[in-house]
Amino acid sequence: MAAKKKMSVEEILASCRKADSDGGAGPEAAEAAADTAPAAAEKPQSASKQPSSASPGSMSVADILAAARAGKPGGEAAESPAAGGDSGAEPPAAAKPAPAKNPGQMSVAEMLAAARGEKSGGTEKAAPAKSAPKPAAKPAAAKKEAAAAPGSGPRDTSSILAAARKSVKPGPVSKAEAAAIKPAGAKPAVVVPPMPSKPDYAKPAKVAETEENRRGFLAVFFGSFLAAGFTLMGTVFGLWGLGLAKFMFPNVRTEPPSKFKVGFPADFAPDTVETKFKAQFGVWIVNAEYEGARMIYALRTVCTHLGCTPNWLEGEQKFKCPCHGSGFYIDGINFEGPAPRPLERFAIRVADDGQLEVDKGKMFQEEMGQWSDPACYVPV
Amino acid sequence: MHVSQAEFLEGISGFLGSYYLALGAMNAIAALYVWSSLKKNGLALCWLILALLFVIISPLAYSGRPELIQFISMPESIRNFVDQYMATAFVYSTVTLLSLVVLYQFREFFVKPVVAWLMLNAALLVMGLSMADSDFAAIVTKPDNVPIVAMVFLLGYFTWLATYKAVQNDQRMAQGLEPLEALDQEKVLVWPDLVYIEMICMVVLTAVLILWAIGLKAPLEEAASGVKTPNPSKAPWYFLGLQEMLVYFDPWMAGVVLPSLVVFGLMAIPYLDFNKAGNGYYTINQRKFAYSIFQIGFLEMWVTLIILGTFLRGPNWNFFGPYEFWDAHKVEALNNVNLSEYFWVRGIGTALPKAPEGAGAGTTLLYIVWRELPGILLVFGYLAVMPPLMAMTVFRKFFVRMGFIRFMVMSNLLLMMGLLPLKMVLRWTINLKYIINIPEYFLNL
Repeated sequence: MAAKKKMSVEEILASCRKADSDGGAGPEAAEAAADTAPAAAEKPQSASKQPSSASPGSMSVADILAAARAGKPGGEAAESPAAGGDSGAEPPAAAKPAPAKNPGQMSVAEMLAAARGEKSGGTEKAAPAKSAPKPAAKPAAAKKEAAAAPGSGPRDTSSILAAARKSVKPGPVSKAEAAAIKPAGAKPAVVVPPMPSKPDYAKPAKVAETEENRRGFLAVFFGSFLAAGFTLMGTVFGLWGLGLAKFMFPNVRTEPPSKFKVGFPADFAPDTVETKFKAQFGVWIVNAEYEGARMIYALRTVCTHLGCTPNWLEGEQKFKCPCHGSGFYIDGINFEGPAPRPLERFAIRVADDGQLEVDKGKMFQEEMGQWSDPACYVPV
Repeated sequence: MHVSQAEFLEGISGFLGSYYLALGAMNAIAALYVWSSLKKNGLALCWLILALLFVIISPLAYSGRPELIQFISMPESIRNFVDQYMATAFVYSTVTLLSLVVLYQFREFFVKPVVAWLMLNAALLVMGLSMADSDFAAIVTKPDNVPIVAMVFLLGYFTWLATYKAVQNDQRMAQGLEPLEALDQEKVLVWPDLVYIEMICMVVLTAVLILWAIGLKAPLEEAASGVKTPNPSKAPWYFLGLQEMLVYFDPWMAGVVLPSLVVFGLMAIPYLDFNKAGNGYYTINQRKFAYSIFQIGFLEMWVTLIILGTFLRGPNWNFFGPYEFWDAHKVEALNNVNLSEYFWVRGIGTALPKAPEGAGAGTTLLYIVWRELPGILLVFGYLAVMPPLMAMTVFRKFFVRMGFIRFMVMSNLLLMMGLLPLKMVLRWTINLKYIINIPEYFLNL
């Protein structure tokens, strides 16, 4: 609201008190200031629309000062709240005791100091109301301060003032002091009557603890619903884990065996690629010349670039990968596209019955010099 | 799938007729807008005439008769020319790059709404004319590819929009005015302004998705098999740029290193960028380097590769012209050679250095390094010598403003980015397979 730093009520009252002692007015002046407030508050009770039911003890500083404003006779009082809001920009400097201050930004401390000043100046109880335009601007500020104060500062301003009025301690008090004073006149301590002892029927039945026997074992697992629940959950999870473990070892494996027979060497004509084992076993059986020697070998149907399955193109006499266009000669050597190395060979041998047997468990890579291994081809 | 030309035309006539009617409607709406909102009667008349032309064409297409449709087909000579001379990845990439350069250089002309509208009409007309070709139609109307065609036009629109605003701003700023975005400082509320727009977008998007799902059947294929790869086998459209990259690189490079560098490079841009201009408004002149590098990376090395992979790569990943039949037995004579073979066998005339039989792993490795030394030196020189050269010549100002570390990061990212076109050109021109080829350790570059 105000650009000026907001002061809490506590600070305001503290500064007010300080001003008291500085001014040398002492407790009398403070008391007089406190007296002024209720007196001013009584005035609107008869004269204006201020809350008449409000007892002086429960009124806040804002209320009190608003009442003081309302008590001012004549039309000025009526227009002053509105004027107070507007006149924030143009202060009525002539009438002000604190000329540098903007009326809209006046603190409660200054207001109370002003009130006190009037009192000690010899004015009587109605004087604050009569002291023309000066307070007229203030209440607006007081209202604003009061609206802002509850959020930040302590809320017991009224009690502080009430305490001051009751002459417990002359002058404003700090929050700590107010707390110290309060118990004396505040509400009486609540005395709690002693509880009657429990009747017999309300006492829990005694559990016979003598039966420390075999049932105690079961009680660990089924002693309560919680234990039973956890036991059940543990059992289910355990069974589920076992089932999962079993899932890893299926009864039937649909993948073909890694060793299989493909027929007699005579079944494979020279310079042909047998593609009928590709779909099931992922193998081409090739009868071709490699480095001057005619041989039968088994090529793996996986492209060495990124693992797609190439196709054997009979017309072009090459394996061609559909993914990135790698090409391999009939002997598996890469010659086009991005494939960095030749196709891989599987182990092949002539079994006891004369058939060719391919073993997919062993692989032979050309770039590692493994194709010279006699396990990876059958000479024809 | 083998249908005669007459049957094909019969089948596509309904679509083509509606297509031309839609083009007519589009131009009629443009004419209405220009006439009523912009008050340019002459221009409105032009668009109206264009609309009428399209409307006149559409019955020809609706007829479905070859003798009528031949008037609205791409001429045979042009189709043959494109298939014969344009249908290589080299020509395709060069042409797209050159057209991007031309568009960039004369952007002040091309972004004019009238010119842009004419270009859109021309593109749509070329597509319509080409649709009368069965091979072109087979690719473009494939359910997989229809959204990609739509996205090409969408991308064109957004590129035009951004360039248009940038050109406007540049022209204003050349006159000392502030950018257009600075004039419009009005703030709008999230609720309802933004949330309503989002809700409308959601509704429209849902409607489009439903219509799309009804209109274009999902291309279901046979059950997957580990030993059967469809031919051609294509990645999802957004990965086709990567798949094209894989043609030129080892999977390790094109699948892991370069994509990671793309991601990290994009993340590094805010830290490398020292040009404070262009914040909050469209501009090209104030950010020429950033703009051109990004557009080359995005439009040339990502989008055109996606288009290439989608429409122009056929069986066995061969390059096919847009009007060419996808023949699985098309022979492309290719014999890719490694740099080491170029150097040792063809250059010096000796055999490739090879470790003697029974040599230890260390000796073998030394022989491998010796064999690949030309490539290793070349790559090392490229990545280590080029940055200082760049700092001393063309990027002198950059080096001064960026400092050593930032400049090194920037220049190396730039060089890695340049690796792709370099390798592509080397493959196309001298059939270079790998600069460094160490298959023994799965290290190829």
